[in-house]
Amino acid sequence: MDKVIVCIKGVPKPGTVKVDPETHTLKRESAELILNPMDRSALEMAMRLKDKYNCEVVVITMGPPNAVPLLREAYSLGADKMILLSDRLFAGSDTLATSRVLARAISNLKPFSLVLMGLKSIDGETAQVPPETASLLGLPSVTNVKQISVEGEKVIVVRETDYSEEEIEVDLPAVLSVTPYLDYYRPPSFKRMLEARKLDPLILSAQDLALPEELLGLKGSPTQVHSVFEKKIMERGEIWEGSPEELAKRLIDLLKEKEIFKN
Amino acid sequence: MTLHSFTEEQGLLIDLVKRIGEEYIAPYALEWDEKEQYDPLPMRALADADLFGIIVPKEYGGLGMGVFEMALAVEYLSYYCAGVSTTFAASFLGAYPIILFGNKEQKEKYLPEIAKGKKLLAFALTEPQAGSDAFAIKTTAKREGDFYILNGVKQWITNGGIADLYVVIALTDPTKGPRGASAFIVERGDPGFSFGKKERKLGLKASVTTDLIFNDCKIPKDRLLSKEGMGFMVALKTLDYARCGAGAQALGIAQAAIDVSIKHAKRRIQFGQPVYQFQAVSHTFAEMAMRLEASRALVYSVAKYIDSGAKDFSGASAMAKCFATDQAMWICERAIQMMGGYGYMRDYPVQKYFRDVKCLQIYEGTNEIQKNIIARELAKLYK
Amino acid sequence: MEEIIIAYGEYNNGKLHPASLEILTPLYDIAERLGKKLVLLLLTEDFERAQSLPELKKALCHYVWIVSAPELKDYRDDLYSEVIIELSKREMPYGVFFPATFQGMSLAPRIAGALQVGLCAHVNDLKLEGDNLLMFRPTYGDNIIASLYSTTIPIMATLSLGAFVIKENPFSPQISKYEMPPEFKWQSKMKIRKSKPLIKEPSRLSVAKIVLAGGMGLKTKENLALLRELAKVLRAEVGVTRPLCHAGWAKEEEMIGVSGVSVRPKLYIGFGISGAIQHTLGMENSEFIIAVNTDKEAPLVKMAHLSLICDAGELIKSLLKQLSRESN
Repeated sequence: MDKVIVCIKGVPKPGTVKVDPETHTLKRESAELILNPMDRSALEMAMRLKDKYNCEVVVITMGPPNAVPLLREAYSLGADKMILLSDRLFAGSDTLATSRVLARAISNLKPFSLVLMGLKSIDGETAQVPPETASLLGLPSVTNVKQISVEGEKVIVVRETDYSEEEIEVDLPAVLSVTPYLDYYRPPSFKRMLEARKLDPLILSAQDLALPEELLGLKGSPTQVHSVFEKKIMERGEIWEGSPEELAKRLIDLLKEKEIFKN
Repeated sequence: MTLHSFTEEQGLLIDLVKRIGEEYIAPYALEWDEKEQYDPLPMRALADADLFGIIVPKEYGGLGMGVFEMALAVEYLSYYCAGVSTTFAASFLGAYPIILFGNKEQKEKYLPEIAKGKKLLAFALTEPQAGSDAFAIKTTAKREGDFYILNGVKQWITNGGIADLYVVIALTDPTKGPRGASAFIVERGDPGFSFGKKERKLGLKASVTTDLIFNDCKIPKDRLLSKEGMGFMVALKTLDYARCGAGAQALGIAQAAIDVSIKHAKRRIQFGQPVYQFQAVSHTFAEMAMRLEASRALVYSVAKYIDSGAKDFSGASAMAKCFATDQAMWICERAIQMMGGYGYMRDYPVQKYFRDVKCLQIYEGTNEIQKNIIARELAKLYK
Repeated sequence: MEEIIIAYGEYNNGKLHPASLEILTPLYDIAERLGKKLVLLLLTEDFERAQSLPELKKALCHYVWIVSAPELKDYRDDLYSEVIIELSKREMPYGVFFPATFQGMSLAPRIAGALQVGLCAHVNDLKLEGDNLLMFRPTYGDNIIASLYSTTIPIMATLSLGAFVIKENPFSPQISKYEMPPEFKWQSKMKIRKSKPLIKEPSRLSVAKIVLAGGMGLKTKENLALLRELAKVLRAEVGVTRPLCHAGWAKEEEMIGVSGVSVRPKLYIGFGISGAIQHTLGMENSEFIIAVNTDKEAPLVKMAHLSLICDAGELIKSLLKQLSRESN
């Protein structure tokens, strides 16, 4: 276990989101970005591995320059290196186009043992990027992992599926998405926060990654928005106002009337 | 209405403490209080955040910051739970003697682990018959070859049982009275060292208080801090440094009490308007805010005075502790009154602030003892 | 060669996941209209057992294909996806669709990556517009729905759980074993060492008659606990909104919405839920909707049949008090 790569994502702070009226994609430049909360699991897991195996942790994000504070946050949690994948050509990427960029950047970091990501992002919520990136790298992927340990060239993971909790032996290197429910998440280290202020990430463009334009961004995304529309709201129903006690009584009467208590 | 400006580092420190408060303390504080439960979670987070290292010199892996930064951390932590900040601040009380009086070997042995938060500390002076009258302690430490043998009981020790290291004041030469006292580092697990039951308290319920029992407790002689006979010197100097911490706790609790009660007063409608509109109410808040800001100004200025390298600051630190805690007690009492019945209910946090803040007028030297110190220092100015 | 559409039939431990039958409903309609055949695809180590599943006889599809091999005993992401990738390369399906289950969500992206095709998530409606298959999903912002299409074939998507109602096939589909080419490598980089069944109750949320849902307007975790108490009294199931899940108050199994469970109860009561589209798309088919909110302008209040304008937590407390008085 020499190197662990963590992919993180900046998501718009709830309430600061603006949507491009033409492309219907998020205007990430305008939004205030926060670290995708589920990525904290991937970072925490990586730091636990670092504590145990003394491995190097490299953190990668794809996004506009305003994602730099997120990388610094990852540094203050214990990451050793920061990489920002940033290029106008990346804008509007769907999960395939995103995975292409990540896979290339990860591939350039060989040799590595593990790639960790959050289960999903709280904005898109697709959960597709970890397995899709793994697929492009030709690596195994395991999703919703809650424990990781290393035995030689294999990693032993525990994951929760819809049916069971499984202990799985996986060949290294592998891509894992981590459960959002860990028992503890460390806060940033104050010392590393002070250091991080003065550090800048390595910034890589499409050209640096030798990726052709037609595979990137909106152009390179096979899923396209056809149209966007507002869902019609049905006619307004009845409105009751009053004290909670009063409303509770009326509601109970209504429920009785509807024979809700008899089912 | 904060009237103070901070350096960039201090600003980051405050933000980090707030973050720890929001994430690791706020969701649980009422539950810990209700269940009288010590949860190591916030200590683990504070350790991971390097915050046990605030006052530890950089060469021992600490942050090398001063009393002011320690006070800021304690103030903002107390805003979320004074029980938690008591555990944290009591650990500093145990760390100061080692930082101020430890020899090179002792510092190298203990400070790196203290800075990392791997060792929690406690400071033990009080005994059943020696509260405000600290010189009346009876615990003895008898030299036997390369060891000291401790016998006696320390009472109401914060972090008793959960701390890893205890700085204990004991008599090496009972014939010499206060000049016969010495300070020792005792480790949990030392033979003959045990703990009394967990005390049941009015407030600060998230912290642990027990007796320490020394029954032929045998420790190596290199655990002696400074020299024999210096025990009270160590203790008093430590308390001089730590008093700003108690003052800072008062600031955090009082701020929380004001925040909660003023929000309530602005929303609570009686006689057709928010109660804040009544002058009796709004003037009370004005008074609460004035008293808090006056306390804050005093605590901050004393902390900065100590950090500037002042030699003699017993009186100043006693003023900071006594004034800020007295004002906070008044503010918390008023906060309950401003909320009426809501303030008295255990679903709301103000009653907790009121119970927590009371202890601050008592521990780390009662406010009456603080006034003795102030009066003594004052007298020196008018010889 | 007949053109096919593939629906992934999630088969685990002798049982077919009901969500696999749900997604057949819209896909069958599309297949019929395009003159294509819908294939329900199962992967298993035991062909005989799988083919005798009673649900298959009534599954709304044209064919059931079963790939059977001893290596398919455990669900292994890499091997399972390889099988479907290989099969897709040979059969050139028009579309490959998955229910948004754990397996579906971990398999589909591996396949889409390998085939370099688009993959839509959280699709809760499918429509043909000419020859174009439009996939609908909620998107950023309040009440905004996007329709998407894929520029690549096969079209791929994961379909929201509970978004479609299972329909029975009046005819039985043809069930057959699908033979993988002999050169196919049955290898995996994963080995399941241990498997411990989860003790959690299967969620009854999607089939509940009464759903009490809680949102951030509950304000405290204690109020959510009181809501659960109320649910016991009313014999209802409890659901929550996404922010509540993200706050760690509830697990994702209880999340109502497009990325969670869709519900269609007789009675839905939303406590302190403003009604972001993420959530409302998962409950809009409820028969009677009651909103409890302090904000008259909240989207859920606007779409509800009845709205109670008050603090949700206080109402729950009053309901519990009055109901316990009545039962005494």
